[in-house]
Amino acid sequence: MLTRREFLQTGAAAAGLLLPGAEVPIKRLAIIATIYKYLSHAQHIGDRFLVGYPYAGAWQKPAVKVVSLYVDQKPEGDLSGERAREFGFHVYPTIAEALCCGGKELAVDAVLIVAEHGDYPRNEKGQILYPRYEFFQQCTEVFKRSGRSVPVYNDKHLSYSFPKAKSMVETSRRLDFPMLGGSSLPVTFRLPELELPLGCEIEDALMVGEGGSDPMDFHALEALQCMVERREHGETGVKAVQMIEGDEVWKAGDEGRWSKDLLISALSRSDTPLGMDAAESRPEDLVSSGQLPKLVANPAAYFIEYRDGLKATLLMLDGALQDFNFAARLKDVPAVQSTQFLLTPIPNVTYSACLVHGIDQMFQTRVAPYPIQRTLLVSGILESCLTSKVQNHQRLETPHLDVAYQPPARTTFCRS
Amino acid sequence: MSTYRPKLAAVVTTYFKYSHAQHIVDRFLYGYGWKGTHYRPPMDVVSLYVEQVGEGDLSRSRSEQFPSMRIYPTIAEALTLGGSNLAVDGVVVVGEHGKYPRNEKGQTQYPRWEFFQQIIKVFKDSQRSVPMFNDKHLSWNWDWANRMVDTSREMGFAYMAGSSLPVTWRIPSVEMPLGSRIREALCVGYGGVDSYDFHGLETIQCMVERRQGGEAGVKWLQAYRGEKFWDALREGRWSRRLMEAALCRSHTLAPVRPGFNDILPTDDDLRRLLADPIAYQYEHTDGLLCTMILLNGLAKDFNFGADVEHHRSSSNVFAPLVKDFNFAAEIEGRREPFSTQMYLPMPDGRTTLADFFNPLVNNMEKMFLTGKPTYPVERTLLTTGLVAAGMESLYRQQTRFETPHLAITYQPTAESTFMRD
Repeated sequence: MLTRREFLQTGAAAAGLLLPGAEVPIKRLAIIATIYKYLSHAQHIGDRFLVGYPYAGAWQKPAVKVVSLYVDQKPEGDLSGERAREFGFHVYPTIAEALCCGGKELAVDAVLIVAEHGDYPRNEKGQILYPRYEFFQQCTEVFKRSGRSVPVYNDKHLSYSFPKAKSMVETSRRLDFPMLGGSSLPVTFRLPELELPLGCEIEDALMVGEGGSDPMDFHALEALQCMVERREHGETGVKAVQMIEGDEVWKAGDEGRWSKDLLISALSRSDTPLGMDAAESRPEDLVSSGQLPKLVANPAAYFIEYRDGLKATLLMLDGALQDFNFAARLKDVPAVQSTQFLLTPIPNVTYSACLVHGIDQMFQTRVAPYPIQRTLLVSGILESCLTSKVQNHQRLETPHLDVAYQPPARTTFCRS
Repeated sequence: MSTYRPKLAAVVTTYFKYSHAQHIVDRFLYGYGWKGTHYRPPMDVVSLYVEQVGEGDLSRSRSEQFPSMRIYPTIAEALTLGGSNLAVDGVVVVGEHGKYPRNEKGQTQYPRWEFFQQIIKVFKDSQRSVPMFNDKHLSWNWDWANRMVDTSREMGFAYMAGSSLPVTWRIPSVEMPLGSRIREALCVGYGGVDSYDFHGLETIQCMVERRQGGEAGVKWLQAYRGEKFWDALREGRWSRRLMEAALCRSHTLAPVRPGFNDILPTDDDLRRLLADPIAYQYEHTDGLLCTMILLNGLAKDFNFGADVEHHRSSSNVFAPLVKDFNFAAEIEGRREPFSTQMYLPMPDGRTTLADFFNPLVNNMEKMFLTGKPTYPVERTLLTTGLVAAGMESLYRQQTRFETPHLAITYQPTAESTFMRD
């Protein structure tokens, strides 16, 4: 193993691991973050471009040099200045200056926007108003002014507002730069390594997870989306959504609006059931034993009706489990297909290395490994579900979610 | 189709939350997640012998909830269901956890041999034998372990043993290609000697046994601990490239610098963070060199597997560099090391279920149904011998310990037996 100094000096050599035999020019990266403190998304993702990350059984050192950083807030524990000093870049007071490295024109080859965490207000739907759209706009202003655009990664959903999210994707198309967004869930390890066959006919799909809105439901919805987008003819968009809560969720299960068989299968993949038996760590079938209503004080169901007729459900069952699991029934396949999206432990959160690998690929090749339309659609699904929530849990038609796209032909999650 | 449900006897040292007996017997009682459903084994544990019933015991409440599982005061009665003849179709032995003495070499003297002797006495008296599973290694005493396997052969009953490591999820989900030419293999893990070393050894063995020619046995073993570990690391006694590949498969690499998530540790970092690193290096008869490394942190002489309560109270001072088991090997014809993590969803606050016992129980079930082990007991015999040899080498001031008695040869199963769907 190398000493730290040697290690830090091997950036270019180590980059050879990514593209064997190829000369890889170092890309200059600007990081635009809400905050940069320990265990914030910006730190998880940004640090990997500074110190490398484990991927595919080797320590990867991206051929990327972080040259500038903008942080919107500097809370207690802020690391921006410390990182800048250690790794030799500047923290700029504005986004434009960060992208121009203090000059007048765009002076970076890639932009990483991480607007998650920090002190921002919530709206009446419970959405945290992270300034992703605003950050993005300021970046593209510089692109326009400079007559040049570079790849942009936007962490998590594009915006709390679908019109804003849509205009971001349109801008990237107009200015002709690749854009990647979203959560780590679609790219993390799966137990088992399930990938639905491209072009499969999905009869029913269900995701079960836990955690607050709107951070965790986004992760779960995107995990669901990366599975169902592989169905016959690809993604067609969403016709209507509905979110219900409380006892209505159980009633909907009894009425067959979501499948108990799929939930049994999804929960059989969980390593964290929290049933009455959890105190003794007994394996158990929480659905058949009828325990769920006792465990989950405030269940939520997110119903998604796709334009091609597929119906999918996200169940958020806080109190029943602590991981994220998927199940689907495919036409002419007797066994339910199911898997766990593995969220590896803090602080390593190695799943973010899977994400950074995809981001780095886009920075190097100018091709996004999976479509931004996925993230756009999920941003819209989430917003509409939360609108349904505050509008008496009504079913809402969503003609605006006519987002059609084809899934990547290549599998993009971390696997053998 | 037969609807007969085989009857099993469980013979265990103790039965408390998160003990191996609880993990295993509970899965027969309650079922478990398997291939995407909540699966219930097609067999029943009908009798239970528990040697130590103490605070936190769950065996009594389990028997109340499942009256079909009766508790018997002796092993013989558990096997005969209180009658005079063997009355079960299989035996599950879990001699892990409980208060048992440790000898001067640091080996916990779990009574697996003693349990075995009592079980085969019933077999002999009844002139009938049934398949038996033994959790973890066969015995702390090599001669006894060897005789256990010999006895199973002489009496002609199916015998299987070992750890969950060979059968649990792998991340990524890869199998060593049968017939591979392996140049060197290594595992980085954590935990104490005579407990977690066994898991590390099983991790390596289930992979390297698939090499060209199958298993050929082991010639010698050398343990390194403390200063000798650092000397061996510096001298390159094992491949740095493999060690690095294995560390890159970990999900729990300890932050080597405050404020960062994970950084590949330098030698200086290792020196600073590891208070008690241990390596067992051994050479197989066909020349393959293997190294099992436990990257232990601040707590010394920590018998990790033996006492869960102790583990919990000590976890704040026990800071290993990794808290998982990762395998790496150089294979001829591959540019990069072959590597994977044997994933243990460990109920240490992150999970509520030790679901790596699901595939272990499932493999046992297959043996109880078919009368054929799904993988050879010789694997466990060899790893049992390697644990004992490691303890011996440590006891003899870390000198090389010749192991002519470990000339154990066997062929691996062609089919993979780890959890992957």
